[in-house]
Amino acid sequence: MSESSFEDFVRQHRQNFEEAGPHSRVWAQLEQQLAPGKKRKVIQLMGRHWLKAAAVLVLMVNSVMIYQFIQMKKAQHLTNVSPEMQEAKMYYTAQIEQRLETIKSYPDALLGLDSMARKELELRNDTYQVLEAELIQNPGNERIKAAMVRYYQLKLDLLDKILEELREKQPVSQKQSDYEREI
Amino acid sequence: MQASANNLNNTTITDHLVSRCKKGDVHAFRDLYNAYSGAMYNICLRMTGNTADAEDTLQEAFMQIFRNIERLENAGSVTAWIKRIVVNHCLSHLRRKKVYFEEVDNIDIEEDKAIVDEDNFAWTVAAIKEAIHVLPPGYRTVLNLYIFEEYSHKEIANMLDISESTVKTQYMRAKDKVRQIIKQKK
Repeated sequence: MSESSFEDFVRQHRQNFEEAGPHSRVWAQLEQQLAPGKKRKVIQLMGRHWLKAAAVLVLMVNSVMIYQFIQMKKAQHLTNVSPEMQEAKMYYTAQIEQRLETIKSYPDALLGLDSMARKELELRNDTYQVLEAELIQNPGNERIKAAMVRYYQLKLDLLDKILEELREKQPVSQKQSDYEREI
Repeated sequence: MQASANNLNNTTITDHLVSRCKKGDVHAFRDLYNAYSGAMYNICLRMTGNTADAEDTLQEAFMQIFRNIERLENAGSVTAWIKRIVVNHCLSHLRRKKVYFEEVDNIDIEEDKAIVDEDNFAWTVAAIKEAIHVLPPGYRTVLNLYIFEEYSHKEIANMLDISESTVKTQYMRAKDKVRQIIKQKK
């Protein structure tokens, strides 16, 4: 077989120099390597949007912390901390609120109390809030429990005195509250 | 007219395939591999000289192709881009095997035998393949890159970091060596 040159011969028979393609194991191995590539893709995407990812993470952590804080606060409720004080509270609360309702039924002019004094008569004033918070922090402290009972009693005494004065100022026939009708 | 329509159609298919690959579609990677692995494997086989190294090099090269296809700006140049990556991997493989591409002055060979009369020489595909296979790796690389992969002397010089004149001389000597090997076998 005679040809003009090596280059011409190769060009004319180019296809005959080609071998069969690679074994199927090459693609199989590539496919295996491509599978964890999906994870890399996710990491790459996270890398691009790291600020958004960080913001979402902070929000999630905050949500969990707020949820745990609420749960902790619930656990610290007086019912859980001191059941006997919760009972006393319910008793005195009912008594105090009954007297407060009666007092409110009198006209303001006869009552002679300004808004500050009225607020002080309310059950849940600052003194009460402080005592309850103290008891939640120190559940076994008997002095706080005694102070709370004393607080309820003083408040009841005060309200009774006010009611007594009101009755003296205004005859019973003129103003009869639900409380008075009951007794 | 028919040819240009086919070219346009092929370009559209290639664009679509590259676009899918850029989205990380594994099926598209398989399609791209199926389209190019045959030709690229032959480059690896010619350059490395054996099946095991050719398969390893092909695998490495395609992994790089898949990972970097996002950077390919012109889908129309995908064939040249893939081929260049494969050739670079073959050259890296040869360098790892301590194959050095030196300037011609440093190579101890017989001078003035490169220019030969090629007329009436009986070439055969099998004989050429066999002769190239036993060529020294340096000669085989230059000859393959020029005659089979169709890179210019200048491009080969840049790839191998040697002068263009050295590439020309090495190519002529490689060709002469092929002729000598075939003659000896007869």
